Amino acid sequence: MRSHGWRGGGPMFRAEGLYKSFGALEVARGISLTLPRGARHAIVGPNGSGKTTLFNLLSGELAPDAGRVFIDGRDVTSMPPDARARAGLTRSFQKNNLFPELTVLQSLAVSVAIGDGAGAVFWRPFVRSADIFRRATAIADRIRLTSHLETVVDTLPYGTQRQLEIGLALAIEPKILLLDEPTAGMSADETAEMAKLIAALPEDLTLLVIEHDMEIVFDFARRITVLDYGSVLAEGTPAEIRASPEVRRRYLGETAP
Amino acid sequence: MVLLAAAIGTWWFAGYAGQDRLGEIAIAAIFAMSLDLMVGYGGMVSLGHALFFGLGAYALAGLTLFLKWPPGLALPASVLLTGLVAFAIGRLIVHLGGVFFIMVTLAFGQMGWAWFARDRLFGGIAGLSGIPQIDLSLLGGDLANPADFAIVAVTAATMVYLALARLIESPFGAVVSALHRNAGRARALGCPVQSYKLAVFTIAAMLASLAGTLQAQRTGFVSPDLLVWTSSGELLIMVIIGGIGSLLGPIAGAALWTLLHHYLSAVTPYWMLIMGAFFIAIVLFAAEGLYGALARLAWRRPHV
Repeated sequence: MRSHGWRGGGPMFRAEGLYKSFGALEVARGISLTLPRGARHAIVGPNGSGKTTLFNLLSGELAPDAGRVFIDGRDVTSMPPDARARAGLTRSFQKNNLFPELTVLQSLAVSVAIGDGAGAVFWRPFVRSADIFRRATAIADRIRLTSHLETVVDTLPYGTQRQLEIGLALAIEPKILLLDEPTAGMSADETAEMAKLIAALPEDLTLLVIEHDMEIVFDFARRITVLDYGSVLAEGTPAEIRASPEVRRRYLGETAP
Repeated sequence: MVLLAAAIGTWWFAGYAGQDRLGEIAIAAIFAMSLDLMVGYGGMVSLGHALFFGLGAYALAGLTLFLKWPPGLALPASVLLTGLVAFAIGRLIVHLGGVFFIMVTLAFGQMGWAWFARDRLFGGIAGLSGIPQIDLSLLGGDLANPADFAIVAVTAATMVYLALARLIESPFGAVVSALHRNAGRARALGCPVQSYKLAVFTIAAMLASLAGTLQAQRTGFVSPDLLVWTSSGELLIMVIIGGIGSLLGPIAGAALWTLLHHYLSAVTPYWMLIMGAFFIAIVLFAAEGLYGALARLAWRRPHV
């Protein structure tokens, strides 16, 4: 099993002055973010405020025009997504991004194999990789999909696919996990299930979540960043964010108690 | 199993011509399996795979005729040499998607063809003959004899099949198949997608080159025809007819294509028309190819 030694000292994840524009459209305007190990951090903001763009900058799908990204003190700004994942950061996607033709167990197992770099093994059958399949089963248990191990992903209900979306990310045993709207499109029951799943994630996992459902956000987050037009409008504890007059006016207006 | 039995049966009962055909089919089968590894498993559609078939054959010709290497040593060396060329080409192109990859492989294939068609050393368009065969007299065999050649070629094809089956079943194969289905997610999970594609590309090219060296052993002759892009296209048709993304499919496709090619072209000058219609029918009505269609029929039967 891969162990992620924590270097201690500095923050687990840091983004510094991220800037990105598409032509005249500035989608990230100097965003900075610092996450200690084991963080429970939420990103909120209205549609088009640049949340998913920020995730793409953090995970390496987009290169920033300016600014830097650090994983555990290491500058990963120039690294593509696969190298960042190997450095310990991975993400889930807002729109399900799975291996539709595989079963739940197969897709978790292949994700574990990718995380291990086990794909370099070409001389013995994959199905006999007992350790990989044992760990894949353990993750299925963690994401509450044990009863669906042999189900083909494509035939799973939408909400269950959302759970697997997180499972694939967990399979590589990341240090930092970015979840992009885990409850997007879910029913109330499914949302409650997802909230439980998020609450049960390992303590030392550094978690950054984009979420629209403010109830979920105030439930799990210890810090919240509010994005507006590609820059940070406010950052603080849930209580501070709730109390911030500007945030209330600009964003929480209708939804805050 | 059935295919191997059919091969042995053919070898036993068929005459000289049948055994020669069997050798030809075994070579086409290796060639087709190598392309399917790339297309069906790696998700890289190539129209330039004949380049590596031709390079293998020409390398064997060069090493044996000009450098006087013994053919038994020149054959593996040719395969390795082609692997190096494929690795260099692959580094440049495996990141390309869809139609760009297709067109660039086509361009590389045509560059190879153009070079060998002009090159005086290798006889230009007329080609080069007299490539020595591996001496099997110690084993009591002779590659000039179609019966013995067929045994060697079918053995080689069987070994390639077994090796590829093992590769596909391995963790490597599982990761390759996952990145073929969803490269973006595999990358987000930390998979160095380009390296895997490069590995698949290089292995496929080396197997194509093995088929090419066997072809040069069979005919003792190389010409630019080996690299011409239409043979890359025909090969893709064999793979599709047989069933893309399986190993037995391409073997069946190679056998069927080779046989139809020979027997139809003897009967009618319009044989290409019939082949074309047959191909279109397969694509329209049995997209998984012959193997897929047969497998589906087999599954539909109630369990015994």
